Amino acid sequence: MNPAIELCDVTLRYGNQPVLEGLSLSVRQGDVLALLGPSGCGKSTLLRLILGFIAPAQGHLRLDGAVVSGEGRVLQPPEARRLAVVFQDLALWPHLTVQENLAFGLAAQKIPTQEREQRIAHMLARVGLGEKATRYPGDLSGGERQRVAIARALVLEPRAVLLDEPLANVDVALKAELLGLFREVLKEREVTTVYVSHDLSEAMALGARAAVLETGRLVQHGSFDDLRSAPATPFVQALVNNAAWKNIQVEPDGADRVADDLPER
Amino acid sequence: MITRLARHQEPLIFWGMGVLLIATALLPLLWPMTELLRLPEGLGKVLATLGTGRMWALLGRSVALAAGITFIACLLGIPLGLLLARTDVVGARVILLLHAFPLFLPPFLLALGWFYLFGHQGLLGEAATAGLMFGEFGLVSVLALALAPIVTLLVALGLWGADPGLEEAARTVAGPWRVATRILLPAAWPGIALGAIVVFALALSELGVPMFLRVDVYPAAVFARLGGIDYAPGEALALALPLIPIALLLLAAERRLSGRRSFAVLGLRTGSRNPLPLGRWRAAASAACWLVAAVSIAPLASLALRAQQGNGFAAVPDWIGNSLTNSLLAGGLAATGIVIIGFVVGHGVARRRTGATVLDALAVLAFVTPAVILGIGLIALWNRPALAFVYGSIGMIVVGYIGRYAVVGLRTLTTVIAQSSPHLEESAAAAGAGYWRRLTRIVAPLHWRGVFAAWLLALVFCLRDLETAVLFYPPGGEPLTVRIFTLEANGPEAVVAALAVVQTAVTAAALALGGALLGRRSAP
Repeated sequence: MNPAIELCDVTLRYGNQPVLEGLSLSVRQGDVLALLGPSGCGKSTLLRLILGFIAPAQGHLRLDGAVVSGEGRVLQPPEARRLAVVFQDLALWPHLTVQENLAFGLAAQKIPTQEREQRIAHMLARVGLGEKATRYPGDLSGGERQRVAIARALVLEPRAVLLDEPLANVDVALKAELLGLFREVLKEREVTTVYVSHDLSEAMALGARAAVLETGRLVQHGSFDDLRSAPATPFVQALVNNAAWKNIQVEPDGADRVADDLPER
Repeated sequence: MITRLARHQEPLIFWGMGVLLIATALLPLLWPMTELLRLPEGLGKVLATLGTGRMWALLGRSVALAAGITFIACLLGIPLGLLLARTDVVGARVILLLHAFPLFLPPFLLALGWFYLFGHQGLLGEAATAGLMFGEFGLVSVLALALAPIVTLLVALGLWGADPGLEEAARTVAGPWRVATRILLPAAWPGIALGAIVVFALALSELGVPMFLRVDVYPAAVFARLGGIDYAPGEALALALPLIPIALLLLAAERRLSGRRSFAVLGLRTGSRNPLPLGRWRAAASAACWLVAAVSIAPLASLALRAQQGNGFAAVPDWIGNSLTNSLLAGGLAATGIVIIGFVVGHGVARRRTGATVLDALAVLAFVTPAVILGIGLIALWNRPALAFVYGSIGMIVVGYIGRYAVVGLRTLTTVIAQSSPHLEESAAAAGAGYWRRLTRIVAPLHWRGVFAAWLLALVFCLRDLETAVLFYPPGGEPLTVRIFTLEANGPEAVVAALAVVQTAVTAAALALGGALLGRRSAP
């Protein structure tokens, strides 16, 4: 089976400044990949490249085996890629209700009204927002908005969902709760996921494999054990140490694994 | 086929609007060049007009007058903007409203108001005041007062948009005066410079006030060759040439400025912070600001008084003809066109789309170019039998307005759209929404207030226009400003004053309607 997402020797520059260099990486169908790295390392740029907002100067990107951009050209526009995204600022459309936020993409994909309504009702019930369908994003709490954002992405039944530091501005307790929810719904739907973060503990809570970027280059790719046993750079070592220090408790499952896997400080 | 169209809808829509902008703003500036080469009297003879020292002296004088007007407008506008935006002057908001309102009226109307005050038979007039008014002193004073609110408003906007933290950090270590001069003024510098450019361009372009005050200026000399006893369209084309490098210099200055700052500088983000206390200077500063506000609206009061005294209001229905309808129709249609173009191109500028900056520069160029050049170009381009259905109708005024004032809609909407997160649109794109759907379902509803504000601003600019429409208004299709301008020469004074009051009332109503609608709370 073709990988859901495959980057082949991708290079991207802003002017003369390289942002991504010779990057090759693939994500299998249904896998969760965490993209980790320091600020400015190219994580979000890579996400925009996968989404189709920018094209690599060299190399190419395949989705389900088909080349969708390469050599400076976007061959398939973002709206035709069947991807979904959750940004750090969530980007909920403030003039649309929760229900309308979910319906927007389904309408764009010309899903029949009846099916659309069923999918929205099911999705909202799944994330615990069945009662909030007619509310506007401005009327919701921070945690509820996070749930709307993930529901809006998943209701589309996308080929892959891309999460760009969605929990960066969330307090510890809510983060644990949301990570639990993310882990469950992603697992249920077996949706391919790319999760951008600078926090290894979040990646572990999602049961993700990790790819670490530094200055636009892939420095290490593997499981948490791989990273812990042979960190490729001081930054990867710091990631591992930081995750151990956080020792995040994930609800409702996943907590044991995270706590047990982490090295003692 | 439909899929292919859907895939290319972004470039198709964007460049469709771009072509409209090019057709209304750039072609009229380029076309006169080709016309020059085909003149029956020969290029050499026509260009000889430029060889006369008299025309170059006139051009120099016009530039000097525009520079003088700009200097005085800045002298007035900078301190006023600073005082009204950031200090505890009493009634700052009302003062700003009164001071800024005349900006939305044709300066010619204000000159008329001053004439009814200081002219020979004016309320306060005598030979000496009339002598001062009809000359360079009068021209510079009237236009500097009329255009100073541009500087005031841009300084105020710059200060409101500046990061409150800069000021608060300075206040912990320095007094109000030092904060005002060392921190706030430098923050307002882009607004000051942009204001100076706009004032200079409008002052150089002005036709109504110098013609009314009998001051010989270069654009009037060009205008004279488009009709009447000096009719010589070839010479008009040649005389328009030296104005082009001046417009290009203004464009270059504007580009340099806009390259240095983000659009957010001109936004309307207002941080809540306490005004700087003026202490013992508060009473004097407040009195000075109120005096400026009173002077700003004095000509309007004078117009109303003159109309009232001569029973001019009763005669308005007999004299106004279709001019008010023409103004509203042409202005409304042009504002709609301006907003559609501005929305698509402004969105492109805000999202850094390839080619958008060039179109933005083009709109700026059409605005800073003296209107007489745009007018000559539009006449040369459209005055032909095949296009008579446009040239002989109000449609021609609409085309002229769109070309000249496209920048108003474009810049307003660029600023508005640039302030929202691009993620809102990128999420929609990832969800499967094409360009058109994103524009109509996400961007437009999110920014409907900005779109409406841009429409209203464009409408007001079209309503106040005289110098574009006066060049080619069709018979029976003249807007109200042109009607007042042509009547002024030989119509009854009280009626002319009453028509000017009607123009003022319509503008005030449009602005009040906008204020009322924009002030209402929106849905969450």
